Amino acid sequence: MYRYDAIDREFLADRADEFRGQVARRLAGELTEDQFKPLRLMNGLYLQLHAYMLRVAVPYGSMDSRQLRRMAHIARTWDKGYGHFTTRQNLQFHWIKLGDAPDILDALADVDLHAIQTSGNCIRNVTADPYAGATAEEIDDPRIWSEVIRQWSTLHPEFSFLPRKFKFAVTASAKDRTAARVHDIGLVLRRARDGALGFEVIVGGGQGRTPYVGPTIREHLPVGALLGYLQAILRVYNRHGRRDNIYKARIKILVAALGAEEFARQVEEEWAKIDTAAADLPDTELARIRGAFAPLNFETLPARSETFEAAKRASPALARFARNNVKPHKKPGYAIVEISLKAPGATPGDASAEQMEVIADLAERFGLDDIRVTHEQNLVLPHVKLDDLPVVHAALAAAELATPNINLISDIIACPGLDYCALANARAIPIAQDIARRFEDADRAEMIGELKIKISGCINACGHHHVGNIGILGVDKKGEEFYQISLGGSGQEDATLAKILGPAMPADQVPEAVDALVETYLAARQGEERFLDTFRRLGMAPFKEAVYADVH
Amino acid sequence: MKALTANRLIDGEVVFWRAGQWIEQFPQAQFFADDDAAAEAALETGKAQPTIVVDAYLIDVVEAPGGYAPVSYRERLRALGPTNEPTHGKQAAGGAGVEAILAATGAARSTGRVDLIRRK
Repeated sequence: MYRYDAIDREFLADRADEFRGQVARRLAGELTEDQFKPLRLMNGLYLQLHAYMLRVAVPYGSMDSRQLRRMAHIARTWDKGYGHFTTRQNLQFHWIKLGDAPDILDALADVDLHAIQTSGNCIRNVTADPYAGATAEEIDDPRIWSEVIRQWSTLHPEFSFLPRKFKFAVTASAKDRTAARVHDIGLVLRRARDGALGFEVIVGGGQGRTPYVGPTIREHLPVGALLGYLQAILRVYNRHGRRDNIYKARIKILVAALGAEEFARQVEEEWAKIDTAAADLPDTELARIRGAFAPLNFETLPARSETFEAAKRASPALARFARNNVKPHKKPGYAIVEISLKAPGATPGDASAEQMEVIADLAERFGLDDIRVTHEQNLVLPHVKLDDLPVVHAALAAAELATPNINLISDIIACPGLDYCALANARAIPIAQDIARRFEDADRAEMIGELKIKISGCINACGHHHVGNIGILGVDKKGEEFYQISLGGSGQEDATLAKILGPAMPADQVPEAVDALVETYLAARQGEERFLDTFRRLGMAPFKEAVYADVH
Repeated sequence: MKALTANRLIDGEVVFWRAGQWIEQFPQAQFFADDDAAAEAALETGKAQPTIVVDAYLIDVVEAPGGYAPVSYRERLRALGPTNEPTHGKQAAGGAGVEAILAATGAARSTGRVDLIRRK
């Protein structure tokens, strides 16, 4: 993984020190709240319903055991013993005291972590494929390019005060695990016919109040031209983005207003004016960054592990875990292990300090010291030997981390919702918990197959409800929590936006409605169809009928 | 009825006004009659304490069986803590006042559905 150098470390220490001074001045009354708020937000510190919340950047969702242990330490020392992994592959602490925040930033800086650019109208933490460097599907390592963008965008003076926040996702696999098409910019690495490496550049996707699947404005941007081209996109946005209206300020609104073709033309025009020799990354620097992600020292192993096969025969639990949470690795004898943070009844994305330490230990002992966060709020050990899977599974199970439900109905994304968030209209977590409990039967969940439920507690869509196969949006109806269900969304390579099923319903009717949707799907599915496939074939009508038939 | 609330600057804790002091538990808050000018006066005092609290504002309160409860759902959650972690936040203290908020129904802006906030 990428390592900070002495200059990076000095900068982070200075930045934490600067924030310590700002907090002291705020507490002493030398700064008003209006003056202080943007300063704390620049350091990822929000004031929420019950306490301050600190959002820590996990660059492209990648951590080592030392960093995850430090998160556990922070959770235990300054929070209530847990942290919450988010759809930005970040970690949030929900019970932070302002007076402790400077010490926490010091503790983060000490392990090359920070909370910079996790808030505000700047380029936010870049997300990437959590299987990077481990999956055979990828044509290059997306972490390299994510790191390039991270370095370029960190404290970029021209792009620190954009019209609105700006989110990148980078993937290099045909199977998209980043929701690239619903980002401000999605970059998909591809090879041209001649073998040249380039990016498909998708601009103007997004969720929130006005969701869009982003159009592709360039099919193949040579990788070496990345930064100059990004600069051109950001310049067009910076100049023409709607600063007058916060609801229309995201780049998606500009792209939609101009049309993808005209937007692309303006980008090309801007690009032609840029001194690309100065803007683009020198080959030597790219080589240095690439070197940080050099292939690891994998052992030469047989593709099949007799130890693992025998253990699976002996343990149905391990076999089920292997079916759902273990994914193929590019190297024979290795696997990618997904750790679900969605145990039935648990809060999606939450991990206790003890669980973080278990995962850090496993990564260190069995996983080449590598841990990833997924945008679906789970964790990944990307490099585990098949031979070690029985031991890893047992350790995970002992820590209640072996829930075998990846991509199944109980693997639900949920934002913190009204239980924590100052913006929310309704709770999201209890809805996720109720649905997960209703589908707790693992056999039934496997029989249902891939089904992605995503829940947001307000229109800002942090819970990605627009791209849920079943999306659930919490709304405030005359002071009470109601939930609007939508169907048919996908955040993957076949991205589509979900469509509203019908009128919103009270919380206690939601699990029943989901059950009715699932039964409709099971009765109608053909062959290997997923829920999404059946929905696409049949359309809304039978699902609507199933949920609202009794409502008159 | 009304009550005055804010978040404490130093730690973000939800606090309520009682006779010139900020306290942590809603049931012990000072409740003002809707036409009581003292509510506005307390609000002005609270707003003039920027090194103690952030964002002081008045909330509507209703009489519930066994005590008082904030009218709005959001304010009930602020007065209790998150429903997914019943041991976190003010609800952990328990007692009749907390029970009263949990049991509150029939508020002006709800349909009167019982058990509006469920406990695990």
